[in-house]
Amino acid sequence: MSETAANHDPKTGFYVGVWIGLLCIVAMEVFLTYRALSRHALLAALLLLAVTESAIGVLYFMHLKFERRVMMWSILLSIIFVLLMMNQIWPDAYRMTTIGMR
Amino acid sequence: MSESVSVAEGLGATMEPSPFGVQSKKLTMWLFIASDAITFGAILFGYSYLRVGSPDWPRPFQFSSSIVNAMVMTAILLTSSLTMLCAVSAAKIGQKSSSLKWLGATVLLGILFAVMHLREWFHMFHEGWSLSRNPLGGPVAFGATFFSITGLHLLHVISGVIALIVVGLGFQVGKLDDNYVETTGLYWHFVDLVWMFVFPLLYLMNAAR
Repeated sequence: MSETAANHDPKTGFYVGVWIGLLCIVAMEVFLTYRALSRHALLAALLLLAVTESAIGVLYFMHLKFERRVMMWSILLSIIFVLLMMNQIWPDAYRMTTIGMR
Repeated sequence: MSESVSVAEGLGATMEPSPFGVQSKKLTMWLFIASDAITFGAILFGYSYLRVGSPDWPRPFQFSSSIVNAMVMTAILLTSSLTMLCAVSAAKIGQKSSSLKWLGATVLLGILFAVMHLREWFHMFHEGWSLSRNPLGGPVAFGATFFSITGLHLLHVISGVIALIVVGLGFQVGKLDDNYVETTGLYWHFVDLVWMFVFPLLYLMNAAR
């Protein structure tokens, strides 16, 4: 492990706590799936929980929180930027629901 | 300037610390993970595009069979991340036998995940699903997207299991050090994180209600 990450490595008990938290988020996702939510509300809730899970995983399980800031932001910002740019597809997807796939 | 001084300066430049404070193999793994995250992002966006554009998208997953099975698979993958963390921590403090035990547990959990996934696939094949067939009617793209995305993820899990076995054997005989265990662990956690999006988007959003 790099010096930066090694100096801040949490104890096993902390990781067990994170693991339990992630399992609770999975249970919450399943619980919400069977509530009377609209399709859009369910999608928003599931995506929010999935992003939360992945953020916890990247920061703590993958130790990115304990790396240098320049490393953390170089990796995260590039991924977030590309994924945000992909959101341009939605107007065309909604267009298909009204005029059909062409 | 004498020759010895210029050699020393050259070595100094070679040994200059990384601006990111990590070893090159770890930075390479992070770059691979970034590119792979974007690949999975693109196929999940593609799936979502087709799903939004198809009003009669099927919702085949029953709670008692598919959703519970996928929940157990999710728990297995999350647990394998924890065992991987224990393997890395033990390797870092020089407890080689403990690290190898945790690596073995991670491999077993990975194999269990793959077996459960393949069992579910065969159950779906038996029901009539395939890349180009939809027994419930509606768009056939469901099978194409479901099997492609989960297949790509399964390929990552199987690759990860093979990588863990190879690194574990190398670590056991002393050919590979703890940095290799940590770098392989990064990959394994990434495989886990991808599933955190596959599970809600492909299973929960397509649960029969």
